[in-house]
Amino acid sequence: MSAPTDVAFSLVDHDGRPVDAGSWPGRWLLVQFGFTSCRVVCPRALTKLTEALDALGPAVADRVRPLYVSVDPERDTPEVMRAFLTASYPCFTGLTGTPVQVEAAKQAFRVFARRRPDPEDPDGYAVPHTAITYLVDPGGHLARHWPDTADAPTLAADLTAVVEGGRVSPTAPS
Amino acid sequence: MTTPSVLDEAQLGHLRHWDDLSRRLPHDWSGMQGKGAGEDDFGSYRFQLAYMVYGLALAHRHRLPAAPGLFRPTIQRLIEKLLMPDVWLYWRDVSRGGMVMNAHLSEGYHEEWDPVVRDNIMYSAYVQSCALLHDHLFADDRYAAPGALTFAHWSFFWGGEEKRFEYDRDSLNEHLYWQMVQNGYLGVACEPNCVFQICNQPAILGFRLHDVITGGDRATEVVAGYEKAWADFGRLDDAGHYNQMVLEDSRVVAPNALRAPWVDAWCGALMNTWNHDFVHEHYPRQVRDFLVPGPDGTIAVRSTPAMNVMGQTVVTDTCDTGWVAAWAAEMGDRATLDGILAHADRYMGPTRRDGALFYPRNDTPTDADGHRTEIEPMTGNVLLGYARLDVPDGLHELYQHPWGPEHFAEPALTEVGRDVEVSRAEVVDGVLHGRLRCRGRSGGDDDGSVLVGRVPDGARLRLDGQEVAARPVPGGLWVDVPPGPAHDLELVP
Repeated sequence: MSAPTDVAFSLVDHDGRPVDAGSWPGRWLLVQFGFTSCRVVCPRALTKLTEALDALGPAVADRVRPLYVSVDPERDTPEVMRAFLTASYPCFTGLTGTPVQVEAAKQAFRVFARRRPDPEDPDGYAVPHTAITYLVDPGGHLARHWPDTADAPTLAADLTAVVEGGRVSPTAPS
Repeated sequence: MTTPSVLDEAQLGHLRHWDDLSRRLPHDWSGMQGKGAGEDDFGSYRFQLAYMVYGLALAHRHRLPAAPGLFRPTIQRLIEKLLMPDVWLYWRDVSRGGMVMNAHLSEGYHEEWDPVVRDNIMYSAYVQSCALLHDHLFADDRYAAPGALTFAHWSFFWGGEEKRFEYDRDSLNEHLYWQMVQNGYLGVACEPNCVFQICNQPAILGFRLHDVITGGDRATEVVAGYEKAWADFGRLDDAGHYNQMVLEDSRVVAPNALRAPWVDAWCGALMNTWNHDFVHEHYPRQVRDFLVPGPDGTIAVRSTPAMNVMGQTVVTDTCDTGWVAAWAAEMGDRATLDGILAHADRYMGPTRRDGALFYPRNDTPTDADGHRTEIEPMTGNVLLGYARLDVPDGLHELYQHPWGPEHFAEPALTEVGRDVEVSRAEVVDGVLHGRLRCRGRSGGDDDGSVLVGRVPDGARLRLDGQEVAARPVPGGLWVDVPPGPAHDLELVP
């Protein structure tokens, strides 16, 4: 297992349409994994990413497609994803699928997610998961990733640099 | 804080022994074989080789910072040995699973020849961190070359085609990083399904060094993720000792149930890299459980009885004495360290051979008076020397305050003949100070010489206070070290 390179997935979007990495031709895919019942990590990450996306210039923003991929396909149906994102994070498109499809996507991105009991959750479980943000280039290759600790200005600057073909911040992990 | 000093005879003896071991002919592991078969356990060649590299790195970083020429070739030879199939072939079998705690999982695993591709962080992280230690300490890209870390094996007698797996410091580091990511930063397993705290610490050190060399901040990311992942289990068990490992499938944590000294000592010594306050806070109480006071200030380390599992007595080199000594050294607990070393010197057969110092393996538990005499090759070859050469917070400082470009601009002994003993090598206020002794043993062309490199224009060379001429070469100045007692060398800008 080395770094994810050609990032292939086959999922459905929050409108129920089958999608894969080639479904947004010419776009850079900004990919965050999570689950809609997540109480801390996902709201924080999605808020931060929204802030970063809002800071992009229009030419860059038009070339970036933000995707939120569920690691909890049993609960996160397309309808649930759409309702969640439309209400709070409308720039994101939600992706989900069958457990097998989601597992394959997790493998492709080297994502960790594991269901565990959570008495505070109405359904009794949570799905702790990798909070890395990925950037996939229009050719379907992983171009960049950021840890959860990267802040919105850093993300916006790096996104701009990568998408415009400029230099990436030397201090950020590649 | 770097604390260069003049090395004493014992410290020099350990360095000489490590140099001797690094020069053994291929597949000659004499004096390094432990009690266990098959390179499975804690005294294996991989650990001896890696901790010699760590010990050399610490000695260079803290004791002889201006003597890269003394350490670099030895570290390279040890890494070469670390890559030898004798060291990693155990993985072909261990990768199949089936250890006593995981017998139910063996059907899910297959024989794997590549020793770093999955699990086996107890080997892969040492290859990664040793290569990165080398490249950091010597400002070198030796192990960045494609295939610089290649695992290869072919036999005339069995196995068909050559097995060959090519990595380098960057691809291996990348590979381990993504394994960490996919495991939710809990760590990478050693034996299948067993994620030990101890064996993931070297990987974190490696990430840090890779960050230093190439830029980035993956060590911070991994440490943050590691802390969060282990928060579910606790770093310590109910009795305040380090949890040993987590079983990946069941998420069951294994405490240090037997109160084995090596579990706490090994983990604590390494975790001090990034978790200084926590490790120091718990050390005094933890270490008390392991020490046995003896006569005249000596201190022995007790071991737990060998486990009995499936009707078998588990044969293993615990290396308890060595690990507690190394831990005490890192913690700056001079009294405990001195007591353990005094015990070793009194009861564990210190042996001198051509200037080398080591404590040969002894399987006899105690002498007639009950003093511990048992010592493993890992302790006697490596860890007691490591403990003598480390300084308080030695690994911590190496991790937190790595050398920058200014260090590599200073004059230094960039090559050191095999016959030259270096007991001092530091730059103070721009002056290179060396203390050198020619042992007059080998008789090779430059065996009694040193190359002083990175020489400022117009610098003057003195030996015992007298200006001397040296042989100028493109890399600096060759200095012949006169035989006899040690000589003080100075390079004055």
